[in-house]
Amino acid sequence: MNNLIHAVELRNVSIFIGKTPIIKDVNIEIPTNTVYVIMGPSGSGKTTILRLISRLIDLVPEVTVSGTAKVLGMDVLKVNPYVLRRHVGMVFQTPNPFPHMSIYDNVAIAAKINGVAANKEELDEVVKSALTKAMLWDEVKDRLKDYPHTLSGGQKQRLCLARALAMKPKLLLLDEPTASIDPVNARKIEEVIKTLKDEITVIMVTHSPHQAARVGEYVALIYNGGVIEQGSVRDMFLNPRTEFASRFLRGEI
Amino acid sequence: MHKTRAIKDRLFTLYILTTSTLALIPVLHLIFVIVIRGFDSFVEGGIKFLTDVPPTPLSTELGGIGPSLLGTLILTATSLPITILIAFFAAVLANEFPNNPISKTVDIISRSFTSIPTIVVSMTVYLLVVVPMRTYSAIASSIALTIIALPYAYAITSAAIRQVPLMYREAAYSLGMTRWTTIYKVVVPITRRMLSGCVLITMARIMGETAALMFTAGRFRTGISLQLDRPIDAIPLLIFDYALTPYPILHKVAWGAALLLIIIYFIIFLAVKTIVKEVKL
Repeated sequence: MNNLIHAVELRNVSIFIGKTPIIKDVNIEIPTNTVYVIMGPSGSGKTTILRLISRLIDLVPEVTVSGTAKVLGMDVLKVNPYVLRRHVGMVFQTPNPFPHMSIYDNVAIAAKINGVAANKEELDEVVKSALTKAMLWDEVKDRLKDYPHTLSGGQKQRLCLARALAMKPKLLLLDEPTASIDPVNARKIEEVIKTLKDEITVIMVTHSPHQAARVGEYVALIYNGGVIEQGSVRDMFLNPRTEFASRFLRGEI
Repeated sequence: MHKTRAIKDRLFTLYILTTSTLALIPVLHLIFVIVIRGFDSFVEGGIKFLTDVPPTPLSTELGGIGPSLLGTLILTATSLPITILIAFFAAVLANEFPNNPISKTVDIISRSFTSIPTIVVSMTVYLLVVVPMRTYSAIASSIALTIIALPYAYAITSAAIRQVPLMYREAAYSLGMTRWTTIYKVVVPITRRMLSGCVLITMARIMGETAALMFTAGRFRTGISLQLDRPIDAIPLLIFDYALTPYPILHKVAWGAALLLIIIYFIIFLAVKTIVKEVKL
């Protein structure tokens, strides 16, 4: 798993809900230790691709998937989803820290479930490290026993980021993580994402070309369930090959 | 425009307040009457009211409701945990695996059981349990109470589990939690307040049920019995029987029993509501 060239390989992947195609014949290769951005207008299928990678697509009723999807060398459609998810962290569009757990427990639960820490000292260290990476430690270090409802929306989202990092994932999925928070917190999260690529692979979904340009190295532009264009961020933003990409990057779509 | 809206708003508020008060008046009146009349029985009977056997119709001493009180506690203790356990797993099954044929069957059966008359359940248990055992018993009563309370417990538990937003389940799954780990580490703790309410409502249903016991309990109120395979009594059954008699002393016992039932329920209600804190989402 450590010598993988691609963290994710999707070959001829199509996803149907009932008989309606949501994703159509998608081919994407995501290199390890990069920040890969999946961008596109709302409803184009970006989140569905993330849900396939984490096998959360199982929660969608009447879904069928065809093609080959490999994540960290594992066949997504055949592997035990609980095994897969232990290597794949995820942050959702709406902040969803567990409301019945303290700030500390929200992060610690991820480490405990995945056997990251052997004892209390190690657990404390993992929690501190995850909160520090998520740029939240200084704001919450004196109130780790408080509950998440005392945090702002942006802080809650950074807590979710810390929770995902405490799993020590090899792959981190971010589903429009800054869509529902203020610009200051959004910038902080973007800063965190940039620092993560040295350790793990990050896949971020966004509808904002500006955000893609700020944090991404590689990008895929999705529309209506299909990949319109993909490549390095630099290439796509400087020389878009399709009219759709040009218009999307100019903010006309 | 603004004035019209303000008037409409006030009229609607007034309407809500009036109808709420009208709905509350009969309940408050009932509680008031039970407290006034039951209190007299408490004063007259003293502490022995909780332990003595009931009086005979021509007795001069009030006696007590010891066997019925013990019977109610035994029946609640035996049927409540079983009811809650079955209802909880049925609700989890129906909510977490909604497309499973077993889930669908459980859901349909539970919903249809809600409308079955309790006296029919009592008669059925009489035929299936009392007749083969050749005796009325606490076991037969517990079975009847469980069958009657189960659909209610299932409906409320199911609603409580459904109330937990999907995003918390998704978060749990994304951390590598299994379905069952998600249920006991995330779903149940988030909805604990509503689940405790479910336990209380089910308990009230069991403690207050009369018809289920008519053909199953055996009305043993002349002594204390802890045997589950022997006849038993319960407070609601005693109230029903004594209310139909022409004897004032038995009416007095029935009023005291009614007040005791309400007091027991309120004590447990307040204790549970104090202990189980609400989760702020």
